Amino acid sequence: MNIIVPIKQVPDLVEELELDDSGKALNREWLKYKINEFDDHALEEALQLKDALGGTVTAMALGTDDIDKSLFTCAAKGADKLIKVTGDFDAAVASHVAAKAMANVIQGLEYDLILTGVQAADDRDGQIGVLLAHYLGVPHVSVVTGVNIDAGKALVNKEYSGGLMGEFEVDLPAVFGVQAARETPRYAPVSRVRQAMRNTELEEIAAGDCAVAVGSSVSRMFKPETGAGAEMLSGSGEEVAARIMNIIREKGIKV
Amino acid sequence: MPEAVPTREIFRNFSFVMQMLFYVVSFSAIAVFLYGSYLRVKKYRRGHSAYRFDNLGKRIIKAKIIVLKNASVWKRDALAGFAHTLVFWGFAVLFVGTVIVALDHDLLRFFDVHLLQGEFYLWFSLVLDVFGVLFLIGLVLMMLRRSGTGQPQLDYTRVDLKEDQYDRSGYKRDDRIFLWLLLLIGLSGFFIEGFRIAVDRPEFEAWASPVGWFLANLFDSLGMSDSGNTFHAGTWWLHGIFVLIFVAYIPFSKAMHMLLDFANLVFTDELAAQRLPKISEEDMKKGMGYGSIEDFTWKELLDFDSCTKCGRCHIACPARAAGTVLSPRDLILDLRTYADSTIGVSEWFRQKFDGGSRWPDPGKNGVKVAGQVIKKETLWACTTCMSCVESCPVGIEHLTSIVQLRRRLVDEGSLDDNLQDALMNIGDYGNSFGQPERARGKWIQGLDFKPKDVRKEAADYLWFMGDYAAYDPRVQALSRSVARVLNKIGIDFGVLYEGEKNAGNDVRRVGEEGLFEMLVEDNLAVLHKAKFKEIFTTDPHTFNTIKNEYPEFGGNFTIYHYTQLLANLIDDGKLTFSKKLDYKVTYHDPCYLGRYNKETSAPRKILKALGVTLLEMPRCGENTFCCGAGGGRIWMDDSGMEERPSEMRIKEALGLGTFDYFVVACPKDNAMYTDAIKTAGQEGKFEIRDMIQLVEEAL
Repeated sequence: MNIIVPIKQVPDLVEELELDDSGKALNREWLKYKINEFDDHALEEALQLKDALGGTVTAMALGTDDIDKSLFTCAAKGADKLIKVTGDFDAAVASHVAAKAMANVIQGLEYDLILTGVQAADDRDGQIGVLLAHYLGVPHVSVVTGVNIDAGKALVNKEYSGGLMGEFEVDLPAVFGVQAARETPRYAPVSRVRQAMRNTELEEIAAGDCAVAVGSSVSRMFKPETGAGAEMLSGSGEEVAARIMNIIREKGIKV
Repeated sequence: MPEAVPTREIFRNFSFVMQMLFYVVSFSAIAVFLYGSYLRVKKYRRGHSAYRFDNLGKRIIKAKIIVLKNASVWKRDALAGFAHTLVFWGFAVLFVGTVIVALDHDLLRFFDVHLLQGEFYLWFSLVLDVFGVLFLIGLVLMMLRRSGTGQPQLDYTRVDLKEDQYDRSGYKRDDRIFLWLLLLIGLSGFFIEGFRIAVDRPEFEAWASPVGWFLANLFDSLGMSDSGNTFHAGTWWLHGIFVLIFVAYIPFSKAMHMLLDFANLVFTDELAAQRLPKISEEDMKKGMGYGSIEDFTWKELLDFDSCTKCGRCHIACPARAAGTVLSPRDLILDLRTYADSTIGVSEWFRQKFDGGSRWPDPGKNGVKVAGQVIKKETLWACTTCMSCVESCPVGIEHLTSIVQLRRRLVDEGSLDDNLQDALMNIGDYGNSFGQPERARGKWIQGLDFKPKDVRKEAADYLWFMGDYAAYDPRVQALSRSVARVLNKIGIDFGVLYEGEKNAGNDVRRVGEEGLFEMLVEDNLAVLHKAKFKEIFTTDPHTFNTIKNEYPEFGGNFTIYHYTQLLANLIDDGKLTFSKKLDYKVTYHDPCYLGRYNKETSAPRKILKALGVTLLEMPRCGENTFCCGAGGGRIWMDDSGMEERPSEMRIKEALGLGTFDYFVVACPKDNAMYTDAIKTAGQEGKFEIRDMIQLVEEAL
């Protein structure tokens, strides 16, 4: 089972986010980046499948600033091959462009399965998986929580809202947008990351033509605005409870 | 008949054939002993190398003094110490006596030299009689101690398995065989003497062999003396057979501790826990820590075999007391049994696991020592408080084995989610709180002066703060106290602000050696550029690693714990108090200060200068009890515990009666005990105070 895991980095929320002068994007000058949490789950699921079935795991990412360490971290966890897709990308590259660039590269690779995070915190539409499948002409399932391979087919669970769960049988190769891996993503010991930096080759492949329509654009970005409707409830338990009931009735919610 | 020269015949009434038979049996027993010992040595030689031969002369002298005084057995257990001293010295003198007899009879007589006659014989006989009695008293005390005194350290019940999942009858059998064989050897020895004297009645024996004389009188009164020669021959052989069985049995039993434990005390490293072993780049590539039994060093294999199951670590361990699955004794014994079953001689006293199959099936990668032989939960339960190492009378270094196994778990990426988060935070931001690096200086908000930045400005002292002092809101207030006190008495100090990273003490003890190395490199890069003369820290964990571990990475600094600094300032007259504090307090020694670094006097000196009345808890000084936060435990969840060590400690303090303050000198203690006094439901009984709060109050 040869699995490709496209990953990306998102801004690290430990630092306060600031907007740039345009008011349409983050000020990325001082931002720290970390691997997108969903991609980390996709990688973990891929490594679990590799542990069970053998094969290889290839981690790939667009060559945005600072991406190398995240790729080496994938190698430290057990990815066999690292690919950096080179091109003129900034960290805010649109998902449509990213998907086309990834697809261009993946078309030249052999694979059975592509696992990627279902979405990313700085992603506008969560369409990476869908678009990849489209460009590659393979099946796709999103919001996947468990991947099982049986007789050349994949059995996957998809989570729907309201607690519904669907089970799909999918022909391979296929693309899955992973919501959660079966286990918490593993820890990458620093010594392994350092060894990966020294010993693992980071293959660079040019993205080729990836000029596609981006689908949407940002017109304004702003911090959550304080609403006027906050009311602090105080008093005894009964008074607070009575007030809550009143609010619910005032809002016209039937209980 | 002329008066005979006092002596005794060794092979009294023995035919030549009988004598030869005795030699044949003796040499067979010695051959078995030598073969068993050879197998042991072969086992240790298969271990990895460990350099423990520095200052060999000093090591031997030190071990000899401990052994001759039985010092480590007396420590905190006077009954065991007393009984062991009697058995030890009784055995030693009787052994030397036997060697003299053998020399005299089998070697010197060929040179016509006879030691054992005349006055020397009389004194020899008397000394052996006296020590023989002491030997027997010691053995009887040991037997009584093992039967029904209910001492918790002698309870072999496992903490991690149900009663039907293991079998400790082998241990109990070994204990009994050991004591009974020695007792029978001693008793039969006296009986031989008694029968000989009953028949021959040499008058000098009345005082030279008082026990023999007494027994001879007894045999007379029982009418046994007429067949005294027959009884003598019988008991002689019985005694001989007991002794030779014992000789052959030594290398296969706990009796081997007589030899092994001396060796282990010679090779033990005083700083084994304080300064954990580095990993070579070569070993790092193969994977951190120990994956299989072949990875252990000869010293560690010797550790496992040295254990006498005395149980001191078992009752000292906070993880065991908290009801987790860790018992340092069982961990060492499991590693011993497993080592025996793979690279050892044979498995002498088998342990049954999982209803018969002792060890898990080796998968394609073989049995994992970390995770299968010793369970993950067992390894993660350790607080690295070092009480096992400190209480061990025979120099076993439990902690290095635990950390080496943890290293492998980390290498495989299999660790507690919370711990993983903490390590990732430390890796990404240099602190376990997951706060931005530049927030490290936030604690100074509220001070009316700004502490120097020693990266830019020279100062006498660099204060290496540690994560808690800089980031934990409760401890930040204490940090401001420290700064105010030092500022007020004119001490020139500064901090590194965002240049400081977690010092790595607990990261190393978790087993994340790569991250530890990275932290040391980053910190040293900043420290080497900063302008200061000496370092102090408010954190005992930071204190330990900078003092004991940084030198191996090229960081040689003078570092004080702040209690040491304050005590020195009191001595120099620079820190004086304007008032005496009229409080009753108790003081909790932090593990990493009191036990790891034996600093128990500086904090007490400060308390004395403050004028408070100090009440000591039963476990204090080097014998302090862990709060449960060390070794990365503060980053892991507490599930699997019946009662938190910190809550047990609060209860221990309550046993002192009423007092005002429970004084601590470690930021983690502050966090742990302010929580524990609430969760134990004891709020209001006393309050937790950091040393600096009392100092500031009295200033």
